[in-house]
Amino acid sequence: MSSRSELCQRLREGLAANDKKAVLQVVVGPDFHNPAEFNGASLLSEAENLASRFRTPERGVVLLLLPHSAELFLLQLGLVLTGRIPGVLAWPTSRVDPEKYQRNLVHQLGNLPVGLLVTLPRLAGNLERALPYPVAGLAIENGSSFDEIFPTAEVSERLEKYHMSPGESHPSDDALFLQFSGGTTGAQKAIVVTAPMLTAQFDSLGRALQFGEKECVASWLPLYHDMGLIACYWMPLWRGASSIQIGANDWVMNPELLLRYVDRGKATFCWLPNFAFSYLSQRRELMQGSYRLDTVRAWINCSEPVRARSVTEFARAFEDWGVRKESVQASYAMAETVFAITQSRLDRELLSVPRAAVQRGKQNSSSLAFDVIDDVYVSSGRMLADTEVKIVGQDGSVCREACAGEIYVRTASLFSGYWGAQGFQEHSLKDGWHATGDYGFLVNADLYVIGRFKDILIVGGNNIFPEDVEAVVNTVEGVYPGRVAAFGVEDKDYGTQSLAIVAETKVDQNEEDSSRIESTIRKLVLTNIGIAPRYVAVVPQRWIVKSTAGKISRRENRDRFLKEELAAGG
Amino acid sequence: MRPDLEAIRNAARAAASELTGKSIKDSQKLVSSGLIDSLAVLKLISLLERKLNIVIRPEMLQPEDFDDVALIVETIERVGKSVK
Repeated sequence: MSSRSELCQRLREGLAANDKKAVLQVVVGPDFHNPAEFNGASLLSEAENLASRFRTPERGVVLLLLPHSAELFLLQLGLVLTGRIPGVLAWPTSRVDPEKYQRNLVHQLGNLPVGLLVTLPRLAGNLERALPYPVAGLAIENGSSFDEIFPTAEVSERLEKYHMSPGESHPSDDALFLQFSGGTTGAQKAIVVTAPMLTAQFDSLGRALQFGEKECVASWLPLYHDMGLIACYWMPLWRGASSIQIGANDWVMNPELLLRYVDRGKATFCWLPNFAFSYLSQRRELMQGSYRLDTVRAWINCSEPVRARSVTEFARAFEDWGVRKESVQASYAMAETVFAITQSRLDRELLSVPRAAVQRGKQNSSSLAFDVIDDVYVSSGRMLADTEVKIVGQDGSVCREACAGEIYVRTASLFSGYWGAQGFQEHSLKDGWHATGDYGFLVNADLYVIGRFKDILIVGGNNIFPEDVEAVVNTVEGVYPGRVAAFGVEDKDYGTQSLAIVAETKVDQNEEDSSRIESTIRKLVLTNIGIAPRYVAVVPQRWIVKSTAGKISRRENRDRFLKEELAAGG
Repeated sequence: MRPDLEAIRNAARAAASELTGKSIKDSQKLVSSGLIDSLAVLKLISLLERKLNIVIRPEMLQPEDFDDVALIVETIERVGKSVK
C-alpha cells in the first residue's frame, strides 16, 4: 500500500469512528449564528459524495475556484480521499474587474497540467471554452451573489500554447494536494504536497504543540493559504480534533466574529498573521460582546515578521478576557515546507533580541525589500524536529550567531521544486537545502526573521509580487514604460506593509494630468491585482533611481520615496 | 442622541480627507477607485465612530458600503448606533 493510500485510509477510519463530535464548523453569512456543522462520519460521507460527482482520472489535478463555503471544505477533502489532487485557488475580492480577472485567470492557469477546474456555474460557463481542460460548475448555498459579479459572456481569451498529454497530469504517486505560491497575475507556482511530506509536518508540529484530539482551532484563514489549509484544517482533521472556519472577508469587516467563536467553541489554538494582532487590539474598545478567551493555549503569530508592538498590544488589550502573555506564540512557515519550520515554546513568553545586538552585513541589508523597524527582533521559535536551518552570508559562508543572512532550510517536509507542465523545477534546491529568500539570524537556537531579500511585499499576510503591480502600471497611458517601481511601506498601525507605487511620466505633466494618471493607476491596480495601493506618486522624468547596470532598485526608490514624497505629504 | 444627516455628511467628508490626505469631493469613489484599501476602510470606520460618537456594527457590511460620501451617510443611517 502506498503512503498516500495509507494516509487516506487512516484519515477515513479516524473520521468514520468520530460520529459524535463536530469536527468541522463552517460559518457562512448571512446567518453567522448557525454554522454548517459536520461530525467525523458526516464529513467523510458528504465529502466523498460531493467529490464523486466530478469524474476525473485517478491522480488527476482538480483546481477549486470557489468562495468560502462548506462545499469548498468538503470538496478539498473529498477529492483527496477519492484519489484526486485538488488545488485551491484564491477567490477574487469583490473589487476586481470581473472581465479582466477572467482573462488573467486563463493565462495564470495555462502552465498547469490540470484535469478539471471546478467553480461557480456562471464562471464555469464563461471559462469552459477558454481553457484546454474541462470546467465544471458547482452551485453552492448562498453562492449566487458571488457568481453574479461575473458577466454572462464567454471569455474571448484562448490559450494558444498548451502542451499536455494525458499522462503528464500526475505530479507523483504520493501527491495529495497542491498549494500555490504565485503572483496575482503571473503564472501560478504549484507546490505538490505528498503524503510523506504531510505526515512529517504533522509529526513534528504536532509534537511541538502537543496537539491532541481535544484541540479546537478557530480560523478565518482561507484554504488557499498554507496557514489556513494545513494548520487550521488538515492538522485538526488528522489529529481527530476540530476546527471552526470563518470567511476572511467576513472577519475583516467583523473581527469580533473570531472571538465569539473562540468563546463558543472553547478554541485552544488560533493562528493569525501579525497585522491581525494589531487589528484586533485596535477594535477591542468597540467590540459589542464580552468573551472568554482563556481556553486558547496558543495564539500563533505567523506569515509576517513578528512585531513586538503587535503582540504586546494584543496581550494587553485582551488580558481581561483571559489572554495570557505566555499564550502569544510565533512560528516561521512557508508552503514550500508544507507549513511550519519553527515554533516557539508553549507557555513561555516570546524571546527578543535588541536590534543593536545584531550584526548585519551592509550588502545584505541594502538589498532587502523591507525589514522590521522595531527596537527589538522577536523570536519565531526553535526548529521543529528533523528540521535544519542555516544562515548564509553574501559570500556563501555560514553566519555565526546574531549575524544576519539568508535563511536556508532542510526538512523532511520540504518540496521537490515548483511543479508545472515541465515537471519539477529543482533549481531552488541545493544539496537538499532551500534558499528561502528571507533574511534573519539565530540566537541560542531560536530563529529571528527580519524581512525578505526577494522584493515580495506582505500585505495583511498576503504575498504581493511587485513585478505584477509594475506590469499593470506600465500599461497606463502617460506612464513611461519600464520606469515604475512598486514596493512596501511599513503600516505601523496594523503591523504590516502597504503598497506604494512610483511611476515616471513620459513628458512633464501638469497637475491635472498627474491626477488623472494617479487615478488610472489606482483603479487598474485594484481591478487587476485586487489590492488598493496606499500611495501612488506620479513623478517627473529621471526621478526613478537605476543602478549602473540599468536595473531599477526597489529598495533605493523606496528610500527616496520615503525621504522626498512621503515626508512632503505626497 | 443620534447625529443628524448633515453632521454625518460632514464627518464622512472630514474622515475621508483625513485618511487620504486629500480634499474629497462627495462623488469621489473611495474603495472602487483604489483610493483606499480594506484596512483603510477599517480606519475610516474608526474615524467615523470617534467623530460621531457612534458604534458601527460591521456585520454584513462590505468595504463598498463606504465607497463615497452618500454611501457612508446611508450606511451610518442604517447601522450606526449612538454610544450611550
